[in-house]
Amino acid sequence: MEHAFPSQPWAKAYEAAINGNPSYVTAGKDWTHGAVAMVVKADLSIDIAQDMAVVVDVNAGHCRAATYMPAEEARKTAPFVIEGPYDNWKKLIVENLDPIKTLMQGKLKLTKGHLPTIIRYVESSKQLLASAQNVATRFLR
Amino acid sequence: MGTLAYENRIELAQGTENNGLAGMVAALILQNLNDKPQKRDDFAKLRGRVAIVAEDARVAMTLDFAGNMLTLHDGIVGVPDVTVRANSDDIIQLSLVELTQRFALPNLRGEAMKQVMHKSHTGQIRVFGALANLAMVLRLTRLLSVN
Repeated sequence: MEHAFPSQPWAKAYEAAINGNPSYVTAGKDWTHGAVAMVVKADLSIDIAQDMAVVVDVNAGHCRAATYMPAEEARKTAPFVIEGPYDNWKKLIVENLDPIKTLMQGKLKLTKGHLPTIIRYVESSKQLLASAQNVATRFLR
Repeated sequence: MGTLAYENRIELAQGTENNGLAGMVAALILQNLNDKPQKRDDFAKLRGRVAIVAEDARVAMTLDFAGNMLTLHDGIVGVPDVTVRANSDDIIQLSLVELTQRFALPNLRGEAMKQVMHKSHTGQIRVFGALANLAMVLRLTRLLSVN
């Protein structure tokens, strides 16, 4: 069953996809630095009236929960926040782009969090995003 | 050095708003300076221009060091003393280079350093001007290393 991105059902399916990705389990086994918020910027043309986030609470190669919430709340609680417009997230998921390259191109921005920590766990970040490819996704455009 | 916080010693020049590489390098240097005081001496002594080109991402930036001050520019600005050309993954690899406990030199036995050396041999990482600016490259390596 397809889930609209972003939404709570999509977040739940993403949680399962992360936990079902053996490459993430291996690459993320040492990650104990807290949740990561993926913020989709407001876009009225697809009825996203405010910045929204999918927050993945990952720890030691396991996703404890993935939750869809207003970005304002996510920015306060998640130690790592990555933000970008809807189309850039869509492209990242559909084309399985390298998240580091995407950050360098400025298509997504790390707006909160310790960059040296992210750099130490590059493979973990890649596998986290690669897991999204295994979610049956319906994009809003 | 004066009392100016490092946040005020690192400046993103106009035009870097959409250059993610410049933003990342600025954040990396700032967080390294705040986390690891031993890197501050290198920052204070660095002078000159370093260009970094992420070839696969088609993004370039220039670091303009002026002794305890740094300005980051979009694209290649002026004549760089050192130019690093590599893919985005390999640029990240450069910041993972292990340092020796003594003298904080690149550790040739480190896993990341071995990969960097291999990729330098195969031309995947190219550093122009390194031989003429060895001290600068060494200081830059220490400053960018997360280790």
